[in-house]
Amino acid sequence: MTVDRRRVLRGLGIASAHGLWFAFGCGGPARPPRHAGDDLSSDVRTWLREAVALIHGAGVTGHALAVSRKHTAAALDVLGAGVAHQRCDGVVLTARDGRGRREQVTSDLTRDGVLDAARALVGNTTPASLDFGPRPARPATPRPDPDAITDAMLIEGLAKLAKRDSGLSSRIVYASGLVEIDDARVWSVAANSDREQRLVRVRRGVTRVAWNGTRPIVSEVTRAWSGGLEDQTLNDDELAHARDTALALMTPGAFSDGEHALVLAPELVASIADIAARTLYTARAQRRPEVAQRLVTGATIAAPTFSLTDDATAATAYGGFHFDDEGTAATAKPIIDRGVLVDRISHARRPGHTGPLELTSAHLRVGAGTASELALDDGYLLEGNRGVRIDPASDRIVVAVQRALEVSHGQRTGRAYADVELVGSLGKLLGDCGEATSATRTIGIRDELDGLPRWRSVEAPWLRAKGLVRARRRLA
Amino acid sequence: MISRRDIVHALEHRDLADWVVVERDQEIAVVDGSQREEHRMRWQLTVHADTPAGRGTARVVIDANDGDPDQLVDEAARLARLSVGPAWTTIPQAAPARVELADPALSIGTAVDAAIALAKLLARRAESNVTLETRITLLRERVAMQCRTGFHAEWKATLARVETLVIATGHSLEIIREARRADGLELVAAIDEAIADLRLLASAGALLPGPCALILSGDALLHHGLGVWDAFTSQADAVVARQGLTRYHERGVIAAGSDQVAEPLSITSNGALAFGVRSAPVGDDGDAVRTFPLVDHGIAAGLGLDPREAALLHRDPNGGVRNLRVSLGTWDEKTTSAGVRVIDVRRLRGLEIDPYTGDGDLELSLAIDRATGKPFTGGTVRLDLIDVLARARRSARSLRRGPYQGPAAVLIEHAELLA
Repeated sequence: MTVDRRRVLRGLGIASAHGLWFAFGCGGPARPPRHAGDDLSSDVRTWLREAVALIHGAGVTGHALAVSRKHTAAALDVLGAGVAHQRCDGVVLTARDGRGRREQVTSDLTRDGVLDAARALVGNTTPASLDFGPRPARPATPRPDPDAITDAMLIEGLAKLAKRDSGLSSRIVYASGLVEIDDARVWSVAANSDREQRLVRVRRGVTRVAWNGTRPIVSEVTRAWSGGLEDQTLNDDELAHARDTALALMTPGAFSDGEHALVLAPELVASIADIAARTLYTARAQRRPEVAQRLVTGATIAAPTFSLTDDATAATAYGGFHFDDEGTAATAKPIIDRGVLVDRISHARRPGHTGPLELTSAHLRVGAGTASELALDDGYLLEGNRGVRIDPASDRIVVAVQRALEVSHGQRTGRAYADVELVGSLGKLLGDCGEATSATRTIGIRDELDGLPRWRSVEAPWLRAKGLVRARRRLA
Repeated sequence: MISRRDIVHALEHRDLADWVVVERDQEIAVVDGSQREEHRMRWQLTVHADTPAGRGTARVVIDANDGDPDQLVDEAARLARLSVGPAWTTIPQAAPARVELADPALSIGTAVDAAIALAKLLARRAESNVTLETRITLLRERVAMQCRTGFHAEWKATLARVETLVIATGHSLEIIREARRADGLELVAAIDEAIADLRLLASAGALLPGPCALILSGDALLHHGLGVWDAFTSQADAVVARQGLTRYHERGVIAAGSDQVAEPLSITSNGALAFGVRSAPVGDDGDAVRTFPLVDHGIAAGLGLDPREAALLHRDPNGGVRNLRVSLGTWDEKTTSAGVRVIDVRRLRGLEIDPYTGDGDLELSLAIDRATGKPFTGGTVRLDLIDVLARARRSARSLRRGPYQGPAAVLIEHAELLA
């Protein structure tokens, strides 16, 4: 297999630095930028209150959610630098009654736009008199203020990061740095509830690519958090890890397919937890009889060493928030407690805050253990996530792994196999889990559904496991 | 308030080599347990700027009712001048393809009403012991396009997407259908097939690994759209081809001996197929959509060309790869080689295709061993899809679904079923 620069970037979800597209507008009349302005906040809340009063006037329960968000992405690679901006405003009005839920969505975040949407939803009604409760406190602004960050500052930061990685070899054929900032101001208004939050999510990453024979080895390290741009950065060890992993020579021989003792790196544990939470541990997944039968509350579905919590309240977590897109305050909820399924993902969120509602995790936390390091007698250390597929009906999981590092008699043999997969049933994989390390890593996930972003994060340790590992490639 | 006239006015006063404006006025309805209606204006602006170093291009997408056209155009022009590539010249505009894309039946009333009407079709199909969980998404749009040359086109389109979880006998299957017309969804047949497969799933046993011949049909052949035929679309990407990264090259065989088999494979991109889900009169860059061959009797015959790639190759643009029409064969769907275990694959759990090599990983959800007639579930098959599809026997019976038109089944004579 071969890759070009475009594919490498596309695979990492960062697009070409030069090809980054600019997008503007996404609602709002021709006037100075209104994003995050305090005057706007007061206006928006007033419009949303009017809309909710109109909806209640029709004898149904109303909720109004508005968002003004801005996405900035800067990339620096071998061909130069690029910055992209996107701004999007939106309003979702919801009416609920005994017959179900109806929504009206508009990108017109003006008084007329909001009220027109309310009338489209419930017709011309007399506004109900409602108590919306106290006005929310002004959300904190991270430092530096995202509105004050210039393109030049972002590029300069990336250039400094690139300069710090002094050990780049000529074998590295592609190197890039990326920083992304999602700055969303969200308002939620319902009877007895008036909330506002500002979520500033930052993701930094570097990518290194080196050829190994006929195949490219792509290595990426990222950090993702909520807060200020400068709150975190990649340290020297992380930069060295990205470089050394790309430069590592892969063993050309065939991988020995079979059941092996394993240590899974945090990025793999995180991706397994993420896909399981999204596709299995939700009320929606329970529609499938196979899932409902397998995943009964109170059932043991993993080893006693395995716990999983969805903690939307986690301070500075990339996927965290103060309230979800139905206006419900963030909670920390155990999903699997020492192997037992105790609850399900319950926070309702909308892609981009305006898309259709879905139940997704916010910040998953896989329980850490006490081990400082996980030793293996014989087996493999699996590193690098290349994608996970799961079939909810059969529980079959296929984890594509970038490399398997062989361990024999407690020592690394130096053999490293590229492109293997861990296959089997998720239940067995979790049931066979062993101890975990005390150290964890946090992975931030930003994907898109119909062009709308979704933000999640997972904190995971290294985890002992066992399972069927096999080569993914056909040998030529 | 953004209007096409204002954007065009702003563009005409900038020093730009070429530009295209696309305005999409969209109504989107989603009906599942709840109802959702969205109205959005989507603007797409493509500008080309010539510089001494070459030509730069920028594309801007805006979901908005309002904005400042001058600012928008200035930013797009600035970006275009920053993204300079090889010089090329726009090829004169050709006539748009004549193609119908809007179903009058889906255009009546509100978008939510039309989506509810589709949901009712499904509800009638539900049997007492079958549960259907359905989400219907209906898009109605009016598209207007204007180019620097004065070319102007307008059309209406509808697109319905139905995702249904069919639940029976303690098992579930998800079916997804997309069509521009309500009757193109063929929902009744899809549900009936799913119910029959759920009954088979209830009695499915464990797989027996080993060599076999595979029959792929229906949902197994067209998993999530074009299914296994997607292996050919990335090979027709002109950008990838120009970089020398495609597996085969124009005018060469797509696989060793692919032109020597009894019924060589031919594949055509047909973007002018009436009510085709990937049909359009013109592409997003203002290029007229054309029907063109991807593979002709086992020989690589064409590439999807946008205006830039077409200009660099001194050819006419064709709107890129769209709906695929695969040549029919003569296979009767019964005859197979003697002494070979034949697996009839009904559904896949997953299909992953490497866009560069054409290697495919097929995860089987439901299959039938023809010798015993017993259904089984699970297993993986790894195939060099370009090679095996070039040699596969194709049925005489045809199927049209989503972006695909071609044989209803194929027989792949050499495969290995893995646990």
